[in-house]
Amino acid sequence: MSKYDLPKNFDYKNTDALRPFITETGKIIPARVTGVSAANQRKVTKSIKIARFLALLPYTDMHQ
Amino acid sequence: MNKYEAVIILNPNLSTKVDDFLKDFEKLLKDNSFSIVKTEDIGRRQLAYSINNHNKGHYIIFNLEGDPSKLLEIETKIKYNESIIRHLFLVVKKHSDEDSSLFIESKNKKSEPANDDVKVEKVETKEIKADDSANKKGEV
Repeated sequence: MSKYDLPKNFDYKNTDALRPFITETGKIIPARVTGVSAANQRKVTKSIKIARFLALLPYTDMHQ
Repeated sequence: MNKYEAVIILNPNLSTKVDDFLKDFEKLLKDNSFSIVKTEDIGRRQLAYSINNHNKGHYIIFNLEGDPSKLLEIETKIKYNESIIRHLFLVVKKHSDEDSSLFIESKNKKSEPANDDVKVEKVETKEIKADDSANKKGEV
């Protein structure tokens, strides 16, 4: 089982599912590393960006 | 008519006055012909980064239906409401019937001690049953 497995229906609220897709510093991991389908990677990216805005995920590890 | 999902982060210091806020907000929505399909009060949560010097926020998620033209009026009202530290309206094709994972997470956190007790009891009953079956085997 890969750590990049996704639940069937996920969105910005599934922070546990999205957390493997960001690095320790908060960057989004590219699709060539995660290996998920292009459609899912687009969805992941969008969800992470919404979750960041709502302070569910960090933008960076440099937040004060 | 559009379907919306609204996330609102309240000032954590006003957590006790959430009911008052909900009443006011529902009134604001009704005045603008919005209907509430579902409300999820998630409660206080640690923010991933500080917003306006707040490290915690009270999250509330709404499933709404309403007119896009009226949404602007609601947003201007929200902008000048100082108890709201962040808000987001998302257009969705379909409202999900299930509880959101954030809501389930917050529920689990609240009921953790109760769950532990149940688990302990279950384990004990299982052990007894296992003993019984072992005894029966011995008899046979």
